[in-house]
This record gives sequence, C-alpha cells and structure tokens, in this order.
Amino acid sequence: MIEINNLTKRYKSFQAVNNSSFNVEKGEIFGFLGPNGAGKSTTINILSTMLQPTSGTVTINGYDVIKQQNQVRESIGIIFQQNTLDEKLTAKENLMLHCKFYGVPRASRKHRIDEVLEIVDLQESINTLVEKFSGGMQRRLEIARGLLHYPKVLFLDEPTVGLDPQTRAHVWEYILKLKEKENITMFLTTHYLDEAEISDRIAIMDQGEIIAIDTPKRLKQKIGGDIIEITTSDNEAAMKEIENNFNVVALSLKDDVIYCKVKNSDAFVSEFIKTLKTPLTGLDIRKPTLNDVFLSFTGREIRD
Amino acid sequence: MIELVGLTKKFKHNEAVKNLNMFIEKGEIVGLLGPNGAGKSTAISMMASLSEPTGGDVRFNNNSILKNPAPLRKVVGMVPQEIALYDDLTAEENMQFFGRIYRLRGQVLKRKIDEVLEQIGLSERRKQVVRKFSGGMKRRLNIGVAMLHDPELLIMDEPAVGIDPQSRNYILETVKRLNEERQMTVLYTSHYMEEVEYLCDRIYIMDQGNLIASGTKEEIKQILSAEKTISIKTNRLNDRFLSLLEESPTINQVVAGEKEVTITVPKEINMFPKLINLAEKVELELRSVEVKTPTLEDVFLHLTGRALRD
Amino acid sequence: MEGIIAIWQRDIIKFFRDRPRMVGSFSMPILFLVVFGIGMGGSMESLVSAGTNAQNFNYTEFIFPGIVSMTLLMTSIFSSLSIIQDRDFGYMREILVSPVSRVNIAIGKMLGSASVALLQGVMMFVLLPVLGIGIDLVSFFQVLPVMFLMACAFSSLGLLVASLLNSMQGFQLVVNIFVMPMIFLSGALFPLNNMPGWVNFLVTLNPVTYGVDLMKHIMIDVESLNAAVREEMGLNLTFFGQPVTITGELFFLLGFTAVLILLATLSFRRANS
Repeated sequence: MIEINNLTKRYKSFQAVNNSSFNVEKGEIFGFLGPNGAGKSTTINILSTMLQPTSGTVTINGYDVIKQQNQVRESIGIIFQQNTLDEKLTAKENLMLHCKFYGVPRASRKHRIDEVLEIVDLQESINTLVEKFSGGMQRRLEIARGLLHYPKVLFLDEPTVGLDPQTRAHVWEYILKLKEKENITMFLTTHYLDEAEISDRIAIMDQGEIIAIDTPKRLKQKIGGDIIEITTSDNEAAMKEIENNFNVVALSLKDDVIYCKVKNSDAFVSEFIKTLKTPLTGLDIRKPTLNDVFLSFTGREIRD
Repeated sequence: MIELVGLTKKFKHNEAVKNLNMFIEKGEIVGLLGPNGAGKSTAISMMASLSEPTGGDVRFNNNSILKNPAPLRKVVGMVPQEIALYDDLTAEENMQFFGRIYRLRGQVLKRKIDEVLEQIGLSERRKQVVRKFSGGMKRRLNIGVAMLHDPELLIMDEPAVGIDPQSRNYILETVKRLNEERQMTVLYTSHYMEEVEYLCDRIYIMDQGNLIASGTKEEIKQILSAEKTISIKTNRLNDRFLSLLEESPTINQVVAGEKEVTITVPKEINMFPKLINLAEKVELELRSVEVKTPTLEDVFLHLTGRALRD
Repeated sequence: MEGIIAIWQRDIIKFFRDRPRMVGSFSMPILFLVVFGIGMGGSMESLVSAGTNAQNFNYTEFIFPGIVSMTLLMTSIFSSLSIIQDRDFGYMREILVSPVSRVNIAIGKMLGSASVALLQGVMMFVLLPVLGIGIDLVSFFQVLPVMFLMACAFSSLGLLVASLLNSMQGFQLVVNIFVMPMIFLSGALFPLNNMPGWVNFLVTLNPVTYGVDLMKHIMIDVESLNAAVREEMGLNLTFFGQPVTITGELFFLLGFTAVLILLATLSFRRANS
C-alpha cells in the first residue's frame, strides 16, 4: 500500500532522512516510532505530499507522491498532531467542508457524516460549535473527518496526545474497529509506546535512518531477553549457583530480589527450577516492553 | 505542608469540586489523577491561590491562605498545562522575565538561571529563541521558569504531555532528583499512569468533583482486587496437574488454556514453592511463572469507569 | 470548482456568525464619517460655497463613497490576512493536504474575502438615510460591480502580502505601509488639490484613487454640480496631464485587479508548494 524506496531529504545544514526504504502492507497497522528529530515528521510530510523529497520514490495506493499528488491526496486521510478544525464552525460544517474539498458525491454526504459521527460517538453534538468541544471531543471529530472520504491509508500523527485514559481507550477502539471493518491501512506515530503495541509492525527511525523494523513481538525478542526476578531462602548461595551453572546475560541483587537477564526465559526457567539447589520462594518473569525496545535502540540520551 | 479542608467550588451550572479533603506532607511527591472534567485543574488553581473557593479552606503550614496567601505564594511554583513562554524571547530572556516577577535580581538571578538551565538540560540552548525549540525543550523550559525561586512546593499540571520518551524520562528523572536532593514537595497530575507510578509516593483520584480514592500506590492497587493472577506455562498440560490445582484450597480459580493455565490466588500468598511441588508430583516442567498484578491504569479505569466523559 | 465554493463558503458562514467583528469593523468607518462628515463638513461646505457660490453642495455625500472604499480596503485585506491565522492555528493544513489545487485555494480565499468586504461595504448603505443622502436604485446596482472589483483587487493584495509574511507580527506594518497611505492618498476623504509633485505622482499611481472616483461619479450627480465645485473637490482627475474618463478608470481597475489576482495566486502557490 505504501512503498518507500531510497527516500532522502536533505536540508542545507543536515540530512533529515537518509536513504530509507520500507513498505507498508494493505490493511496493516504500521507503527512509526522515533525520538525527537529522528526524521519522522519529515517522512510523514513527504508521504502526505506536503514536502518534496530530495531523492528516492514513494508510492501510496500505487500513485507516486510527486507526480500524482492529487490521486495520493484522495487516497489518504490525515489526523494531525495539532488541532486542524475550524473552531468557529459547527461539527457538521467542518465535515461538510471536508466533503467538498474531497469531492464526496453530494448525494452521499449526509449519510457519510452521520456514519463517521456514529463511529466516534458524536451524533448528538453535530450542530455544536467546535470551540465548545473538549479536547477529547475535538480529537474524535478529527478522526471522524479523516474518514469521511473513505481513505485507503489513514495517517495518525500522535492521535491520543493529552487525552484522558477513557478517551484514549476509545480512540484505540475506533482504530481497531476501522481496521477490522474497513481494512484501512494505518500509519501511526506515538510517543507512548504501550500504545504502539496494537501495531502489526513497527519501524523505529533514528537520525534519518530506519534502525529496526519488525513485529512488536520479534522486536522484543531481539533486544535480548527477559528479566527473571527470583527470591530464594538464601540469595547469596543462589547467586553463586547461578553464576557458576547458568548462562545469564546479567545478574544483580537488589532489595532481596535477584534480577537475572536471560535470552529466552522459557528454556531457562524449566532447567533452572529443576537444577537449582537453593530452595526457591518466588519467581517472576518480566518480558521487555516496547518502551525497553525503543530505548535500547535509540538510547536514553535526550536529543535537544 | 498544605491541606485542603472541605474545599468546594461552585460555578453557575455545576459544582466542579465538592468537599475535597487532601493533604501533602513536606518532601512528598503526590499524584492527582482523574478523567476529563474531574475537577483537578480547578482544585489545583485553588490550591495555588489562583482562584477562590466557594467553600472550605486551603491551609498552608496550618494557616489559611484565603485571608493571607502571601506565605504560600512565596514558596509555590506552578507549571501550567499550557506552555506559558514568550516565543520571541530566548530561553535565558524568558527566565530573566519570570525571575523578575519573583523579585530575583542581578547576580542572584544570574546564578539561579545558570543553575536551572543546567538542571533542565538547556544550558547550551540558552541564547536560542523559544520559537525554534522542539516540544520537549519547551516543556522543559516551562518547568524551569517555575523553579527559579527555589519553590518548596511545585505544582505540575500534566507537565510532560506530548513529548518523546527521551524527553519525558528526563523530566521525570529531574523531578525525582529535585525531590530527593532538595526535599522539594511536588503535586503531579497526568493522564499517563506510568508517570505517576514512577514518581509518586501517594495518589489521589478524583472524579466528577469528588475524591474517590486515595492512598499509597500499593493501597490504590489493592482497591481493585485482593487477588493476583498467575499464569503458568509448562511443557505440556495434563489433567492430573489441573485437578491438583483445582483441589488446592488456596487457589480460587483455575482457567486452562492450551499450554497455559491461569490461576487466581489471594494476594498475600506465595504460591511458588507449592507450584514447584505440584509440578514435580506430576512430572511436569514449569516453563514460566508470571504474576500479573493490576496496573494503576486498570485501577483507574475500574474506579472511574470506561465511559467517555464528553 | 467545488473546492473554491467550499473555501468561499467558510468565510461567508464565519462572517455572519461573528457579530462582534461585524460591529467592530463598522466602528472605524463611522468614526471617519463623524470626524470628516460632521466635524469638517461644516467648514468644508462653507469654504467651498464661499469660493464657488454653489448652494447645493453636500460634503458628506462627497466622502461617503470614499469611506465605503475604505471599508472595502480594510475588510478585504484583513480577511485575506486571516490565512496567516489559519496557518498558525492549523486549518490551513487541512486544506493543503486535500485534493483542492493551490490555485483554487487562492481563488476561493480571494473570493471569500472579497465577498465579505462587499457585504460589509453594502451594509454601509444602511447609514444613507441617517446621513440624509438619497441614492436611486440604478446607481446602487451600478456601483455594486465596481465595489466588487475593488474588493477583489484588495483581497488579492492581502493574499499576496499574506503569502510573503511569516507571522501576524508583520500585520501592523502592512496596515501602516499600505492601507492608510492608500486611503489618504486617494482623495477618498478630502480633495487632493495643489499637492506637491511627488504626492501627486503617488496619487496618480494609487488604484484606490480611480475606484473612489468611479464610485463618486456613479453615486453623486456630478453633472449637476457647478464646474468650480467639481474642480475644488478633485472630481476632474488627470492621468499625467490626460483627463481620466470613466471607461478608462474601469479598464484600469479591471487590469489592475487581474494582475493582482494573478500575482496573489502565483505567490500563494509558490509559498505552499
């Protein structure tokens, strides 16, 4: 659905995107992550025809983003990070204008407006001025608007920023519902990595390059292992035993709990329980989160 | 240090805060949570003496701030939810401006600016106009200007919203460090439970103007359930193992999957030795034992409901 | 085409919704009417009468077209500059990522601003009875296209400036450099006779001069005025020595508007490509 080949964007003083290539499949939720200044915004701006690449090609829905801008624009919907509603207009007026911008057939406009408002539970506020909406409602309205012209690809740029947990949960529900019902391809960015878990695949960009791309599960496996928290009746003896008899990546003791980092917890645990002589009193496995994955690929250092 | 007693705020059409009781001790980091429209921001602004309650009292070191807010104002720092900086001024000029509001002058101001810029990691960007800053840098500076006068109490209203993980971690770590090194008291609100979980000693949860829960992190999490679930993976499952589990008096519930079984037990019980024992009896290999305790987000959604607020 | 209409429509809806702005943009023209019409009117009328022996001269009637032009100019430029706000508040992105072409966006915006200005200008006519000025229906319908043409020209000018400006900071500058001089150096509020050469030069190049003059010729029964009054009130315009005809003015205005629309569209496209 999206094909990116050798994409490069150079500015005077620096290179924002450096020879990146990747594809996004139809119907996929694709998570696009990276720290500040990684080149994410530049990439999204190129994909949404707002910016010309220095070199490389991008096609969306089979159309070239440079040569076939109009077809690309018709194929995509964008939920911007920043509010782009006209607050002086009502919800309906905002949606109606969008229909006109995208040439939605006159006869189906009313039906579609009702349809998208229902998805985001805003039917009752259809004639309310957007400035009277709360932040969460505005966000939901923007999602509705992005769907009006039945886009093939939906770009969601940090769609849940600043929302309360209730609204956030609903936004993700809408997104999953859309994926199931409409098979829309979603290109998603977020700074909250637990949210990126819903992605089918994730790409991490840093300093203009794609440094990792895979399913969340495999990415977690890649960063080398699970942490096993062990408590025993004699921690010191256990530590010695582990050091001598087991192959662990890292081992530490803190507050009477032994932290053991291993490549694969399943294989380790069964063997461990069988052979450890010191009596065990507890064992808990902590699998890495996407947050761990992200920080292990991009480092903890702040970027600006 | 600060105490809210029966604090109430009525507006024309609604009661934003209803009879709120809350306290913060010196040196604590306290989290204030709640969905949209819960009354958090209203409560905070009354606490910082920015607006007057319609009922109740705010007591700072046992004196009401309603008649005399000056002692509180001198030591409180407020980090607002919206970024309140001058876009056309540099980081340093912004700090000078806000420093003067707190009556800092000359060498003292200069030293404080250097110190705070260092703390928020912006020393090298001090001469740059704020317009050119990224979201994370603006957030950090927004916090920095509230710290110039060495506040004893820092009130932070969603200070880390919308920024990348690196910047967010940096802010959280800075707050924690300030708390540890200088005993700075912090009230922190956020919609992101991990932040609160990392920072806060105690937590208050508000909904529709009422306080609906309060306590330490552990106490709050226990609200959801006195039980924990443990998921056990073995090399294969057999019926004997399952029936042994079911017969065990301490296990409340057993749910079997293909290669996995999930059991529910009272929170305080350590099941581990028993599980090893049982597995040995039926000659099974334990592959993994994962204890799933409810997260703060689970508790939050349990208490405040999943329904949309607007 | 539908895109143009949509962008135009947005401005119209917002115009009728924003009552405070509607009232606010009346305050300036009314202030000018009061200051010039009533404040200076008496002395102007007695001066003119003394110098020309004319009895039927009404100064308010003379400046009314000028003040309407001023309303058109101000409203057009301010409405066009609102695209800077759209850019700052984000709505511009919603428009720019849509399939509507850059040229159509610019035209839609230009028409929107021009229509808003025209509406505001037409509303000024409500004041005519209060001022004791009569206007016949024919003149009214004749003056409308002239007003619309002027509104289009000024809106394009606003759009051109807006696509060159980065922020609302430049706004005040634009008003000071363009708008005020264009009004004062057009004969809209007072006759510009016996000016120094360089001022005269600016007046001659100022398109507002011809728009205002056209409106005056349509709205005031110029022929019935005595020749001395006409001369005194600057109604005999010349273009580098040549007397200016109504047809000439119309063509000049048309050409000027066309060029501005072209420039505005191109500049908008360049700024947002």
